[in-house]
Amino acid sequence: MARFPSTEWFDDVRKVFNTDESYQGGGGGACNALMGVKIGAHSFLITFEGAECSAAAQVQESDLEAADFILEMAYSDWRDMVENIAQNGRADLHHTLNTLDLGRPEGLSHSAHGDQYREDLFFRYNQTMQYFFDASARVKTQFAE
Amino acid sequence: MSEAKLPHTESHATAGAGLDLGWMSRQGEWGTRAVAGKQGLTLADIQIGSYGEPDEKSDNQTGRPRGAVARANSYRIGGYTVMSKSEIWLDNASFLYEEALQRQWSSATDVPWHTIKPLPDDIEEAQCQLATFFTEVEFVAGDVPARWIASTTPDFFEPRQCLLAQVMDESRHMDVFRKRALANGGGLMQTSGGTAGVVGSIDLARDFTEMSSRLHISGEGAVLTMFRMGELMAYNEAEKAMYRLCAQDEARHVAFGVMHMRYMSETAPQRREEIQCYLDEAERQILAGSQNPAGTQTDSSEALAILLGGGKAKYDEGVRKLIAIRRRQVQEYIKRVRSTGFGDRFDNGRSSLVDTFDHHVAA
Amino acid sequence: MTDKNDSKPGPDSVARIDANADMAQPAQPNLKWMGKSHQWGTRVKPGKHGLRLGDLNVGIYGEVPPVWTDQTRAPRGAVARRGVPPLGYAIRDKVDLWADSAADMYEEAIQRRWAPATSVPWDTIAPLPDDVERAICQVCTELSQYANADVESVTHWQAQMAYGYHEIKQFLATVSFDGARHMEVFRKRALCNGGGLGLEGPGEVNRMILESRGGWTEAVLYLFVVRGLFTQTMYRYLERYAHNDAERTIFAHCLEDKARHLTYAIDHLRYAINHQDDQNLILQQLCMIGERVLVRELKDGVLREALAIVFGNGISGAQAGLQIHGRMMADYIKRYLATLKWLGVERRTLFPEELSAYLKVS
Repeated sequence: MARFPSTEWFDDVRKVFNTDESYQGGGGGACNALMGVKIGAHSFLITFEGAECSAAAQVQESDLEAADFILEMAYSDWRDMVENIAQNGRADLHHTLNTLDLGRPEGLSHSAHGDQYREDLFFRYNQTMQYFFDASARVKTQFAE
Repeated sequence: MSEAKLPHTESHATAGAGLDLGWMSRQGEWGTRAVAGKQGLTLADIQIGSYGEPDEKSDNQTGRPRGAVARANSYRIGGYTVMSKSEIWLDNASFLYEEALQRQWSSATDVPWHTIKPLPDDIEEAQCQLATFFTEVEFVAGDVPARWIASTTPDFFEPRQCLLAQVMDESRHMDVFRKRALANGGGLMQTSGGTAGVVGSIDLARDFTEMSSRLHISGEGAVLTMFRMGELMAYNEAEKAMYRLCAQDEARHVAFGVMHMRYMSETAPQRREEIQCYLDEAERQILAGSQNPAGTQTDSSEALAILLGGGKAKYDEGVRKLIAIRRRQVQEYIKRVRSTGFGDRFDNGRSSLVDTFDHHVAA
Repeated sequence: MTDKNDSKPGPDSVARIDANADMAQPAQPNLKWMGKSHQWGTRVKPGKHGLRLGDLNVGIYGEVPPVWTDQTRAPRGAVARRGVPPLGYAIRDKVDLWADSAADMYEEAIQRRWAPATSVPWDTIAPLPDDVERAICQVCTELSQYANADVESVTHWQAQMAYGYHEIKQFLATVSFDGARHMEVFRKRALCNGGGLGLEGPGEVNRMILESRGGWTEAVLYLFVVRGLFTQTMYRYLERYAHNDAERTIFAHCLEDKARHLTYAIDHLRYAINHQDDQNLILQQLCMIGERVLVRELKDGVLREALAIVFGNGISGAQAGLQIHGRMMADYIKRYLATLKWLGVERRTLFPEELSAYLKVS
């Protein structure tokens, strides 16, 4: 059982995501982006290449500068989202990535580089990102705190 | 275009059968072997050798594929008005087109329509008013690229392919919003009329960059934010899916506009002032006008406020949230324009966008 | 309408949007748009195949008038706003574009979408003899050019069609997208196996399609029937004589796409004939003109020779390949004449001898 957050947890999610063909249809499909994820003090880079989420790695915060966009929330908010997904099989109406981004004054998605063209990848691939986190419903998760 | 010469062989000399075979000696660069990568055989993979980037100017008036050998007696079909690369090019058109192909969806089967349940009357009316508006807006973005496709030489087929994908996307958007309006006890409501006839509107552009600045950067950028808000204020999974999928498509169209503008910024300094004028006009007409439902109070902005607030009785709360949307919209537009290389307009006082936005906030 | 008060948007998430506490009181809404609908209470449910475009044609939303006078982008069934400047849509008569099957063809196109980059097994292409590769590249060059003419013709007309007939506009969006795929896939085939692009086509039929000064119906006849049936027949034979799975897949997909286009075309032409006096005579005249243009173009031997080499698996087999080409032409002409006969467009008189000759040989 992988601990959240950790590289192992993201690898478990990747395995589910990469082996479910339904994630490539219905508005999913080829995706090419480097997603940064900041969960409290922990930073991760998740790589999407075509039909595959090809890598997940825990990194230093400064490494997030390379990300096209960074999803950042406090640990408690991430935990709330992951638990919601686990409970419902996918994010409910109040816990989708876009809802969290617009519903929070501080937003969810931002970048270190400020290039809106790259930040817009969060919108261009939003369904894929949603599928990715929804895939965590099939991952056994142990929370760090 | 250089023609590859076929080495003379016995088999050709004795071809018989009344075959001429002269065409075999008149083919383009030979020996091309594009290799499929991890994402299949993409347009980028075949941009090799003389089949790669087009020349700055096209002389193709017969519609032949770029790199094909011209015939002296081939019929001209052209009359293309876009014959210069600098008028339409963007560096990642192939990539955006392949992405569009891969990320298509069906409004009939990828939206969980069965999750829509009856809503309070004011909410349903607001959703239907918004759906009516979006159906009307998407019509603009379906028609206008189509006209430009027919006017552009096929030597610049990569941007044309993107525009063809956009026409398909917009058709799907027209369809999905009509479906939403008619799926839950409502119906179509009143049109905005805001997509017709105003001087400087998207329809009236006589230059591709002019059109793209208004359509892709300004118009679709604003609608992208609206779609994201639609996902936020959705009352069911169907609306969530509908708005999210539309937003993805819209973001791709915006990306086209940004990359084209960026190309113009880098390669056509002589057009800089001209493009700034397009942005001046677009900002006045689109972001602050009636075409923007989150602009001055319109039927659609009132509908948005009702949806955001959670009903007619919470209208004021909805308006406050709507203002926050406008802020977000403006911020993203500014950052996109900066990304294109035309951001100096916000630093030197040229853009009145921020003033316009503050004026409406205070009203 | 119901009055459920427990349905609300994500209240927690929306409530946290920055609500600018120091803002002045919002202006009172006028809400005059509320209650404005020609038909309220419409509830279309998804069927076995989802919620399809044609399912929406209930009540007034399904009333498709013979002339669409609205010159704006008002969706059919919406309440029009007075005083909106016209946009000048040239095609406003139903008889000039309608086909009952368009909505279904639109949905079918979406369901049967494919992406040349990944739907074609490109790794099944192995080096071919030089003459065969040159021939297939020549064929692909011309097919890509045909597809370009398709795209330019369809997008030109689509933009001129009034929105009262949105089903047609939407279907044509799928047709032009198909054209984009075809342009792309034939280019990819020509450039992936050690070959290259060939000689461009003569282009006279392309020009005829693009000219179509008589309107969209004329364009439909030339684009989808005169040339479309020819292209479709070629696809059938190219699929049959493909050298690898990649080519088989390419031609099979293109064939499906073309079949949809033809369905629309026949449906539209039938509608036009049934609703407009003498339309069958007009189409007969257009056929006579179009057939002569086609005959002139077919006199150019490049495509014929290339196909003969593809079918005959090389120059040495070209004799046999020419016979197969002859059968292909006979199939095309039979199908063309049968289609026109079914539509009530007579072609017994003044049918080009050059085309009849294929029927006699077969």
